[in-house]
Amino acid sequence: MSTPEPAVDNLTHVPPDLASSMLPPPVTTTPPPESLLRKRLRKFRRLKRGYFSFVFVVTAYLISFFLPLIANNIALLVRYNGSYYVPIVHYRSASEFGQAAFGDPDYRALKQQFAAAGQGNWVLMPLIPYGPNEALLDLPGTPPNPPSAQHPFGTDDRGRDVLVRLAYGLNISLTFALLVALVGNIAGIAVGASLGYFGGRIDIFGQRGIEIWSSLPFLYVVIIIGSVIVPVYTPGRYQLLQPSLWLLVVILAAFDWMGITYYIRGEFYREKAKDYVGAAIATGVSEPGIMFRHILPNALTPVVSFAPFEIVANISALVALDFLGFGLPAPTPSWGELIGQGMENLTKWWLVFYPLGVLFLTLLLVVFIGEAVREAFDPKEFSRLR
Amino acid sequence: MSLPAAQGGPEGSPLLTIRGLRTYFYTESGVAKAVDGVDLDIAQGEVLGLVGESGSGKSVTALSILRLIPDPPGRIVAGEILYKGRDLLQLSWDDIREIRGNEISMVFQEPMTSLNPVFTIGMQVMEVIQAHQRVSKREAHARAVEILTEVGIPDPEQRMKQYPHHFSGGQRQRVMIAIALVLNPSLLIADEPTTALDVTIQAQILDLMLEMKERRAGASILLITHNLAVVAETCDRVAVMYGGKIQEVASIDALFDAPFHPYTHGLLGSIPSVDGKKAHRLTVIPGSVPDIYHLPVGCKFVTRCPYAFEPCPDIEPPLIEDAPGHWVRCHLYPHGGTPAVPPPAK
Repeated sequence: MSTPEPAVDNLTHVPPDLASSMLPPPVTTTPPPESLLRKRLRKFRRLKRGYFSFVFVVTAYLISFFLPLIANNIALLVRYNGSYYVPIVHYRSASEFGQAAFGDPDYRALKQQFAAAGQGNWVLMPLIPYGPNEALLDLPGTPPNPPSAQHPFGTDDRGRDVLVRLAYGLNISLTFALLVALVGNIAGIAVGASLGYFGGRIDIFGQRGIEIWSSLPFLYVVIIIGSVIVPVYTPGRYQLLQPSLWLLVVILAAFDWMGITYYIRGEFYREKAKDYVGAAIATGVSEPGIMFRHILPNALTPVVSFAPFEIVANISALVALDFLGFGLPAPTPSWGELIGQGMENLTKWWLVFYPLGVLFLTLLLVVFIGEAVREAFDPKEFSRLR
Repeated sequence: MSLPAAQGGPEGSPLLTIRGLRTYFYTESGVAKAVDGVDLDIAQGEVLGLVGESGSGKSVTALSILRLIPDPPGRIVAGEILYKGRDLLQLSWDDIREIRGNEISMVFQEPMTSLNPVFTIGMQVMEVIQAHQRVSKREAHARAVEILTEVGIPDPEQRMKQYPHHFSGGQRQRVMIAIALVLNPSLLIADEPTTALDVTIQAQILDLMLEMKERRAGASILLITHNLAVVAETCDRVAVMYGGKIQEVASIDALFDAPFHPYTHGLLGSIPSVDGKKAHRLTVIPGSVPDIYHLPVGCKFVTRCPYAFEPCPDIEPPLIEDAPGHWVRCHLYPHGGTPAVPPPAK
């Protein structure tokens, strides 16, 4: 038998002079640090259709928060008898400006009145001087009135400006969709993460529970809840702070969270077996730290790539509920309610065409965003060359 | 079962004592006794090699020390692991988390996947510090720069802002060693730390580990590998594992000069040699590792052992100290270090 000692003198053994010459590793030129997220964002920006849709929708949504300053029947600024008033901030009654009426002043009439009098008084109205819930009953004929120069989208069956209501509806629809997606995703991620991370019995029973819950007919449950808790419109309160809106958000989110759990569960199952999780556990990171700091960021791809499509679904769901009359209470400006009016007045083309057109355009743009996000987050592109 | 006395090491009482460790995996195909009665001592300041082929239970032994066995399906069913007088298997999860990374840390085989891809290197080094010590971010940052400099990452300030995919395999393993050693643990468990690396890088990483150990007085390394060349280069003592049991423990010289166990003979014979003598073929251990679900009742090596005789299939031999500091689990012993049957001629 040969002595084994010299036999080991190979394979990994490097002559000492060579080893020492290698020891300070070669200084590499340091590439600029770029995270995967930044790569994906850059890719997203290159996908023109999705990116411009995103810019357009986000801009429109941000502008829609300032709608009370853009489309309203309350004056922004009034100069009356030497003093300035800001009625948009502080309520003024009609009598304060010398109008022979109770309650809200008619600022459009006041503007004409001041201009005619020529006493240095004036009224600064918003760009579109019509409110979302204001019935314009002094127009010729009976509502719904066809489009005209003042009302390019016409008025609805109660004489309200369709353009203004569609604009306010955009804010409500998108806010609602985002809130439902947010609440639903938080719940879905928490449940999916627990199922995937803990596995075993929690996983089996949790999944069966989700299956039972998701087999509940969503629309009927909403109708039942809607008839038990009657949604009330609180006049004067800002539309996003209406309790009925939040009630509806909770109800929809309760039926919306299941979808993402399957994906998050799968991601957690896959990620928890990876070496970096084991390495993190071996360095003493706590369990919540492992779940939410280490695994979750690696499991968020489905959340991000599904989000736009979820928003499409949520907008459609709200439109459907409003259309059926189980959504937000009247007179909240909503697209579904306008589409419902269009159905009752099929001959009034502006009540059919404009609401459907705005809905179609919005959903189309959000789908474009979704397509681009999905492509930008496609893992294949970055793993192909590895 | 009487537990063997301390297997000894270079100096005094062991840092870590494993007695009768049994880690089983309960799967649908049966119970896999991955570790079935391991007794092992790791002395202070020593580098102990744990050698064995795939499936011999060496990694599971290492994972059991830090209680990293995935449960289900795995479970540590028996044994004790004494570390500084405390049984790690009895500690609460909070206590064991305090030990992990702080007192005992681990370097894994795959540096390419052992770092979280979504965090910068700096965040990952600092996380360990902040998980165990109440220090400011600035201080953690300074310590991270220091340890990365120590493991030979050039320009650490800049590199800390980069992500794992900007690092080569060797550099990632350096980072893993930095993470493992930043809190100056007493024991570093290195689970095949060089297997996934280029041969030239392997030597660098091993040198780095030994160098880092030298700077930390009293620190020990448990080096798990299937590469006997690595063991010969780095270790003070070697434990050979087979079939979930320690088969032989000896100092590095004793093991390579005069191995006792037939399995060790086989292992050493299967190493290619570069110094002349190209005439003979490598010896091969006949057969393959026994089915983990149906291990032999007696000696685990009986199915492949050229010396197997009457008691071997039925009676498990005990781990005995046949020469000072040289333990073996084989029916051929005790015979004062001389096998009862001569090894077969090559």
